[in-house]
Amino acid sequence: MAEKKPPESALDANALACAAGLGKAVKQFPEDVAAAARSAVQARSALGAQKNAAAEPWPPMRVRSAS
Amino acid sequence: MSDLHWLSAAEIGAAYAARRFSPVELVGALLERIASLDPQIHAFIHLDAKGALAAARLAGQEIFAGRARGPLHGVPVGIKDIIDIAGEPTTCHSKILLENIARVDAEVVGRLRAAGAILLGKLSLHEFAIGGPSFDLPFPPARNPWNVNHHPGGSSSGSGAALAAGFLPIALGTDTGGSIRNPAGTCGVVGLKPTYGLVSRRGVFPLAFTLDHIGPMTRSVRDAALALDVLAGHDARDPGSAAFAQGGFGADLERGARGLRIGFVRHFHESDMIAHPEVTAALDEAARVMKREGASVRDIRLPRLQDLAGVQRVFMLAESWAVHAQWLRERPADYAQVSRRKLMGGAFLSAGDYVHAQQRRLELIDAVNDAFHDVDILVCANSLDPACRIDDEEEGARTYPRQARSPFNLTGHPALAMMCGLSKGGLPIAVQMVGRAHDEVTLLRAAAAYERATDWHTRRPPLEKAGNARRRRA
Repeated sequence: MAEKKPPESALDANALACAAGLGKAVKQFPEDVAAAARSAVQARSALGAQKNAAAEPWPPMRVRSAS
Repeated sequence: MSDLHWLSAAEIGAAYAARRFSPVELVGALLERIASLDPQIHAFIHLDAKGALAAARLAGQEIFAGRARGPLHGVPVGIKDIIDIAGEPTTCHSKILLENIARVDAEVVGRLRAAGAILLGKLSLHEFAIGGPSFDLPFPPARNPWNVNHHPGGSSSGSGAALAAGFLPIALGTDTGGSIRNPAGTCGVVGLKPTYGLVSRRGVFPLAFTLDHIGPMTRSVRDAALALDVLAGHDARDPGSAAFAQGGFGADLERGARGLRIGFVRHFHESDMIAHPEVTAALDEAARVMKREGASVRDIRLPRLQDLAGVQRVFMLAESWAVHAQWLRERPADYAQVSRRKLMGGAFLSAGDYVHAQQRRLELIDAVNDAFHDVDILVCANSLDPACRIDDEEEGARTYPRQARSPFNLTGHPALAMMCGLSKGGLPIAVQMVGRAHDEVTLLRAAAAYERATDWHTRRPPLEKAGNARRRRA
């Protein structure tokens, strides 16, 4: 019987996590890594489509005066 | 003097002025109550009885020698254990920082000390103000004094629980996505998240830099104003500190609601997320009370709750990841599971997501500011459900995100939660009021008017009965 493989999305998440230095977490807590990845996907989708790529981000850059 | 533990800071100050009791007597009574009841509440991580009694002796000498420093002189306060007190551990309720001893006071602690407040100790929280309630941490989670089987809200759980249990009249909380207002509402007390930048964050362990607020939690609106008078002020060493702070936050507490224009943000809890019917009924009644008191109340629309909360979430994930990345890489097992899951989320967001959220943020701040052209105060839900059982993970995960607090971390507007009902199960329900940026005076005026018109602030949890029963059994 073939070994059950994790789904593609989990592999993607694990690859991203490892790239972010979370190799230890991937090994010890794969379900937590998957849950974190899912929450990021939800957060990104809640942002919606970008309406105006040229809009100024908030907070804006401000010059800090020397004290 | 059996009820010293329910006195407000304002009442304590008046009692000192009349020499009815001393700070030492008050602190002694509170320590006795904490010893008796905290084993079932777990509000404190570290109780500094010796230090508090020494501070009380000094406060008594000064006050009774005619050298009272102000309204908080000799008033006991508790500090959420994410805020530094020099020489004491700041653990953030985490194994990660168990050995972390603060070298200097946080700005807010320094301000409280200068005002003569007595530091009782450090209060429990959700790990790093995000992961809880958790049972896999070095300290147990705080429990709700109204029913110890239910959660007290978070992340300033110990602060809310300690106030509701009568352990102290003022506690400090922090609020990044609602962490002052959640436990305040859930424990039936008052929680004020001031305007972003009004209270210094220096010496407070960050969760998400652009969302973090520090504020007072109390049992009365007047005490919230008194505490804010001490806490607010510009701090050149906090880059986010506001350039001005007016003080005198209780100036309009007696003005009442007449003439106030209130916008009732019904769609948050009636269509964006459907609130529990008992919450909906309590909010309707709160709006009726304000109308009866002379305010004009009209329905008003803000952006959808999901849009506001969704953008806040990107900041929370991205910024908290930036703070915790190194520990998560090296010591993932030292976090509670809840924290680990939440804090790793930012690893999966891109720089583009963060900038996109910043663009949306300005649009949403402007939308909320536009609403304030027509009204003085927004009234809306706090939590959309009464507190669930503390050990019901599934229900906790379902109900925790059902809230209307995080939008105002995103926009920075001042917001206050206070009790406006009791569920059939005997748990507090709260209303949230929101003011214009830097208009805490009007926000506190509205809250004081509501408080005066109702008796929710006089309700106490049935904890004493349990405590008495326990003592009788012993």
